[in-house]
Amino acid sequence: MTDTITLASTPQALKGTYKGVVKISLMLAATYLVAQGLSHYLPAADYRQFFGFSNRIAVWIVAELHLMFAAFVLGVPIFAVITEFVGKATGEKRYDDLAKEFTKLLAMAYTLTAVLGCVLLVLFVALYPKFMGYMTKLFKPTWLLYIVLIFGEVVIAYFYWYSWDLLQGARKKWHLLLGVLVNLWGTALLFVADIWVTFMMSPAGIDDAGNLTSLWAAINNHTWMPINIHRLLANVAFGGAIAAAYAAVRFLNAKTDEERARFDWMGYVGSFIAIAAFIPLPFAGYWLGREIYQFSEQMGVSMMGGSFAWLWILQAMLIGGLFLASNFYLWLGMGRIPGAERYVKFQIPMMILLTIGFIVWATPRSIIASGAEMSAMGGSHHPFLGLFGVMAAKNTAVNLMILTTFFSFMLYRRGNRVPAVPWAATGKIVQALAIAAAAGVVLGYGIYSYSVPSNIRIGFSVYQVGAVLAAMAVFVAIDIPLLRGAQEIGAIRWGQIPARAQYALFFLAISFTWLMGLMGYIRSGIRQYWHIYGRVMDESANAYTMMHGHATIIVSCITVIFFLLVSVVFWMASRNEDGEGEAK
Amino acid sequence: MKATFFKIFAFLLVTVSTYSYVGQLVPQFEEHPPAKKVITVSTPPAELAVIGEELVRVKGGCLICHKVTETGNERGPDLRKAAGQAATRKPGMDAEAYLLESITTPDAFIVDGYSKMMPSALKPPANMNLAEVKAVIAYLQTLGGAEVSVKIEAGDIQVAKAAGPVHRGKELMGQFGCIGCHKVEGEGGVVGPDLTPIGQNRSPEELMRKILDPSAWTTPGFPPGVMPADLGKSIPEGDRHEILAYLMGLSGKAYSPTGAASPWSHEGMRLGLVILVFNLAMLAALAWARAREKKETT
Repeated sequence: MTDTITLASTPQALKGTYKGVVKISLMLAATYLVAQGLSHYLPAADYRQFFGFSNRIAVWIVAELHLMFAAFVLGVPIFAVITEFVGKATGEKRYDDLAKEFTKLLAMAYTLTAVLGCVLLVLFVALYPKFMGYMTKLFKPTWLLYIVLIFGEVVIAYFYWYSWDLLQGARKKWHLLLGVLVNLWGTALLFVADIWVTFMMSPAGIDDAGNLTSLWAAINNHTWMPINIHRLLANVAFGGAIAAAYAAVRFLNAKTDEERARFDWMGYVGSFIAIAAFIPLPFAGYWLGREIYQFSEQMGVSMMGGSFAWLWILQAMLIGGLFLASNFYLWLGMGRIPGAERYVKFQIPMMILLTIGFIVWATPRSIIASGAEMSAMGGSHHPFLGLFGVMAAKNTAVNLMILTTFFSFMLYRRGNRVPAVPWAATGKIVQALAIAAAAGVVLGYGIYSYSVPSNIRIGFSVYQVGAVLAAMAVFVAIDIPLLRGAQEIGAIRWGQIPARAQYALFFLAISFTWLMGLMGYIRSGIRQYWHIYGRVMDESANAYTMMHGHATIIVSCITVIFFLLVSVVFWMASRNEDGEGEAK
Repeated sequence: MKATFFKIFAFLLVTVSTYSYVGQLVPQFEEHPPAKKVITVSTPPAELAVIGEELVRVKGGCLICHKVTETGNERGPDLRKAAGQAATRKPGMDAEAYLLESITTPDAFIVDGYSKMMPSALKPPANMNLAEVKAVIAYLQTLGGAEVSVKIEAGDIQVAKAAGPVHRGKELMGQFGCIGCHKVEGEGGVVGPDLTPIGQNRSPEELMRKILDPSAWTTPGFPPGVMPADLGKSIPEGDRHEILAYLMGLSGKAYSPTGAASPWSHEGMRLGLVILVFNLAMLAALAWARAREKKETT
């Protein structure tokens, strides 16, 4: 899928698709032979080193890179096909072109994902033979299913791309069907891959000796579905952020106003997708956290209050940065919307609210202090600031930040429009009341949760989230008819946005990537010295929880490698487009 | 274009470096897996309490919720007072019995003001045996300033539970009847040779050959042809490797129970089949499309 010039006849489209099948066939066959060869010729051992390099770090880096590319190739088709549907519904060709632009980015990314996946498999077999032997014994049927799904995904995704020009006009519905199938297949792939990783976290379906008693119970373990949903949303957010970063690169390199306008719009859509998928993400995270507590209170507590607690402070800093950057981008974008100056007055209060939320969220529970400082404070927790270090305050802060960002989005959306319906004033009041009610529920539960134990407190987050989601639903449900037939003050001046807005998009992409690396480490790290929590112990020299400083350096290295690889993808996409332009 | 790339790359480096820098600012510590401690009936009380402290801190993960100093966690009761208050918690139950119950079946009695959240120390992830639980009790007694009164009995000391499905060779040898004829670690029949030291003289490959083909060789002093020819073949490949890992381990040698599978094993054949089916299906689709196009052109 390296060509970007799509083909206009069925045999040509099928030939392009077949190339993909041949490529994946060769990759899988080579991986199998290399893995078997290594198993056969390497001396027997339970663990092996990677040329003197830590086997754990080698697998960590490759697995995380594979995961990031996989997230990208599974996330992008979701919004590509939605954009294509919008194009079909509105009849506007620019949406179809945008969907094609998104899909073009998948070209090299698919190959890189597959190559990284093959390397990862070889590393697992070579470096963790005993563990892999056990997992194979349990999950052999799912591995075969995974391979069949990979082939299916390759066939459908390649055909989706190569038949873009072929299936236009009356045949468009078939292309849309292909787009839906790509996503269904991709989701199935994700769900199967999640089986193994969630089983390692929350094993089920095995007896005390580790023998399989129920494959379905092993699959449908405590964390499987929450991680499926969490990753599905995160993939869309991540894919949107990377697509927006691509648009930002193209915007900064644009030579004409037309190009600038095109990539400004693409950057906006990409960031919109990223933020829209990002907003419900913490809710899926709460569900996952709740399931972890249900599975093992000890695992939950060590994740939130034990050795990993400090990494949540880092997470708070990242997400706070993401909220600020996305609002900053929206506010800069309002500069190119005639009429949006009406809402500038809200920006300072919103920024203050976001900053307070950020500060509360990033407040640690325990403070590193000397003995004298601790006796002055009356303990390791500050008498006043310590109140903001607990989840009660943090949940409240993040929900209010989500609500603020949503409000910011709604103002952006309304920027150049004035509602014309007779009930506009009433509608706006109901919208304001919905937001105020949600804020009240979030604050109320936040204060009340100080007086209940942690296992009850985590359940309150569901009510807070529910209130925020309900307010958003009410707001949007009113907004759609409210703006129908609205008076337009002027057209959006696409392309007339400052260059620093593009750096806000890069910041979003970098922070999303780093966040993904950090959360992946926490998710995996809370197993501590277990390959499979409580069941199969990691008996290697690397079975320890490393210092947070070391872990963050590795996450940074992964992020830099990822972006270097992504820049190759961007370069290939731009180069092919230039070639296409010249050919035309 | 190059200038833009370098600017973006510099921006990337600054951003990730900032995140890494914040990562250095938070408290830094490493957590290692629990060290394996040997407890016997004659372990002195003071040593038992030291082992107990290590178990509380690491293997048991108790300090995630409890505290043993002024500045610890308060999700569970203060362990400094646990031994002292134990005798008064449940009427009719002495302090030692109460502590044992509260560690092994924590939900049996919940102290006022706390909730049900503690897993049994006998279950994963702590996975302690009774001797280890008693070592924890010894530590709690010293923590409260009392004498260690808890006693380790022979029945409390069990071999640590296998950490999962690793090295199940001994169990499998019983399951497949090997123990009926062979002695291993002092148990089993005498029809065949004692397999305890077999790893000293034979390689894993030789042993695998013998399992699969009993006529491969016969140990001097034993009659040939006694071991059923198809016995080894009836044992699944993975289990054969587990048995080898166990036998080699008895001689202090490492052997990976996963072993090495032939490239033409079931997995290889299945993968090949999937590749073949998809390639043939694509070729058929391509041929059909070309024939259709040719027909339309004509």
